[in-house]
Amino acid sequence: MSATDRLAQISSQLTSPLKSHREKLLIPHSDDIVITCALRTAHTKGGRGLFKDTPAQDLLAGALRGVIERSNIDPSLVEDITVGSVLPPGGGATEFRAAALVAGFPVSTAVRATNRQCSSGLQAVVDIANAINSGMIEIGVGAGVESMSSQYGPGAVTEFSELLESHPEAKNCKVPMGVLSEKMAKDRKIKREDQDAFAAASYQKALVAQSIGLFDEEIYPLTVKFEDPKTNEIKTITVGKDDGIRPNITAESLGKIKPAFAKDGSIHAGNASQISDGAAAVLLMKRSTAQRLKQPILGKFVAASIVGVAPLLMGIGPWAAIPKVFEKTGLNKEDVDIFEINEAFASQCVWCVNELGLDMRKVNPKGGAIAFGHPLGSTGARQVSTLLTELRRTGGRVGVTSMCVGTGMGMAAVWVAE
Amino acid sequence: MFHYRTQGYNGYAVKYSSFFDNRLACAASANFGLVGNGRLYILGLTPGGIVGEKWFDTQDGLFDLTWSEIHENQLVVASGDGSVKLFDIMVKDSFPIQNWQEHQREVFSVSWNLVDKNTFCSSSWDGTVKIWSPIHPTSLLTLPTNSCTYSSAFSPHSTHLVSCVSSDSFLRIFDLRIPQATPLPPSTAQPVPAKPAIQIHVPGNAELLTHDWNKYRPEVLATGGVDKVIRVFDVRGATGSVSELRGHEYAIRKVCWSPHWAGVLMSGGYDMSIRIWEDGCGGGMGGGMSGGGGRLLGVMDKHTEFVAGLGWCLFGGGGWAASAGWDEGVWVWDANQVVAGMRR
Repeated sequence: MSATDRLAQISSQLTSPLKSHREKLLIPHSDDIVITCALRTAHTKGGRGLFKDTPAQDLLAGALRGVIERSNIDPSLVEDITVGSVLPPGGGATEFRAAALVAGFPVSTAVRATNRQCSSGLQAVVDIANAINSGMIEIGVGAGVESMSSQYGPGAVTEFSELLESHPEAKNCKVPMGVLSEKMAKDRKIKREDQDAFAAASYQKALVAQSIGLFDEEIYPLTVKFEDPKTNEIKTITVGKDDGIRPNITAESLGKIKPAFAKDGSIHAGNASQISDGAAAVLLMKRSTAQRLKQPILGKFVAASIVGVAPLLMGIGPWAAIPKVFEKTGLNKEDVDIFEINEAFASQCVWCVNELGLDMRKVNPKGGAIAFGHPLGSTGARQVSTLLTELRRTGGRVGVTSMCVGTGMGMAAVWVAE
Repeated sequence: MFHYRTQGYNGYAVKYSSFFDNRLACAASANFGLVGNGRLYILGLTPGGIVGEKWFDTQDGLFDLTWSEIHENQLVVASGDGSVKLFDIMVKDSFPIQNWQEHQREVFSVSWNLVDKNTFCSSSWDGTVKIWSPIHPTSLLTLPTNSCTYSSAFSPHSTHLVSCVSSDSFLRIFDLRIPQATPLPPSTAQPVPAKPAIQIHVPGNAELLTHDWNKYRPEVLATGGVDKVIRVFDVRGATGSVSELRGHEYAIRKVCWSPHWAGVLMSGGYDMSIRIWEDGCGGGMGGGMSGGGGRLLGVMDKHTEFVAGLGWCLFGGGGWAASAGWDEGVWVWDANQVVAGMRR
């Protein structure tokens, strides 16, 4: 009740009649959708990594258990869990429900699976936020999981019918990612050197981040069974670190790798996202609920956008989705402190960043999917914990997550860290 | 026009008595309410002008007042030290007859229940609205807004509806009939706070500083604040404003619907002007119907500093009003003349 407080209040009423869109976003409202816990498992290499013998359902059970343990939420208050996942047969609905029970959620906590390809994890989180916003539920978990070790392969896509094959644009929906990205890189004249430089930077940033422990807060370690490929011995190990991050990667060293999809191409294993296993989960509720339950508020969800693009140009998705979410929020690129844009391919990511004119220093400051992997359904949920921990560490406030989506879509979301 | 100087004290609120047409009260603070004492003036209207009949001094600044609706000599004030005080004019000494110290920060509004008459509400920078009874030693109810709440009021049409506006740009209406504590989730020890029955996010995203219920249309309210726009809302279902009245050049500190004409309101604020408006939906001045959108009827420009307090006289043919400002001035004036002056 000091005079300076009173004076500050009156002068703010006089001098800033209209705040900027960014300032308005920073104002806490009791009906904000806030995040009180965001975590992920380590991401490990598909087929060879430390989770190669851990099915998706176990990864999910681990991540969900982590949410209960770290947030200390009474699990019976969680009304719904949405899990994004791309590859499991039947969408994974059955095993995800079972995994939630294993994690410690009671039968009263509902579960569903959702699939929007590479943005499934983000879609799951957004769906929970919207369900809270509409009043359907009060507290929910948005999650994502993928075991590419066990479920990645030709069987993941149903054969196209004659009807679908007869439609030229529809037919494009099943063109493999590598092939269409190679075509896009050629069409858009994305140079191999630029891709390799971007990819090498991802590795280098991730290596630094891992070595100084910047992922420790978001990673929930899991104890799993692992068959040693040399001795066939089955060991019990605890996995708390991404195993795809490698040292000594430079643009020059990547420049020596042969292109994977075309002889004269530019895309190879070193400048595309890694095939990985992993899971992530985000706990959401209204600010008023979080305050009542004394949950720590890490940040809030502001808005999301979804947009369709030509299937063969799926890589431009973030370029289309980010301006759309800016339009919804009134933000512009200068208002954003960190962009987490999924590195499906260095080619498409670097093209989007350049076309949008983003400051490269704000993009993926701890590296991305090229360095530590892209477990398809998990990535969108994973980006939330990666973004919020870094915003909080660096004192940033506003972040954007975005990714391109197979079959030609883009998705983006705006978050505010607190 | 009549003038009274609240020397050394800057006016924050002025209200006509609901019992006597010649009595006013003004809540004022030294040093513009930033630091120092407060003073509650009881003013009389006489043929010779405005006379200071009595005053009460308080430790901290006073930001609002409301006359009791059950006792013609009593009134409640909102204080900067978080206290709410009940004064009786007939009491000889200068102390309040009741003092409630519950709010954690500056109390910025008090408003009597016009229907039930046995309760009043207060709102504070501490993010709560409290419901009180003059005969009860503690508050009856605390309603959370979690945001600095500049203005609260009982509906003049229902004894159960309390509204408030806050710096988070929400207009909230609480229905006191809705049970306050929903069943406790097992993990929470504290009671579940009441949820507003209606919660409207007012466009502009600016701090809201004032609001008032229309005296004739039970579902209509007006809000004003830092974005300089008066918005009239119909709370039945729709969340958009019915009309927007633009004209103030700085933040609006007070809006006040006429007790005589359903479509007329006045507003005042940091641009030192008081503006009289027709909202275009209800009865205009002099009883005629108005239509075709809101419009400015007139400007009262006698104040030479921020205008903070406004009040209509409840008696007579309608149009008499009082205003208080940081220029240490209380003006009593006829809105009919202000409007007529504008027409000429």
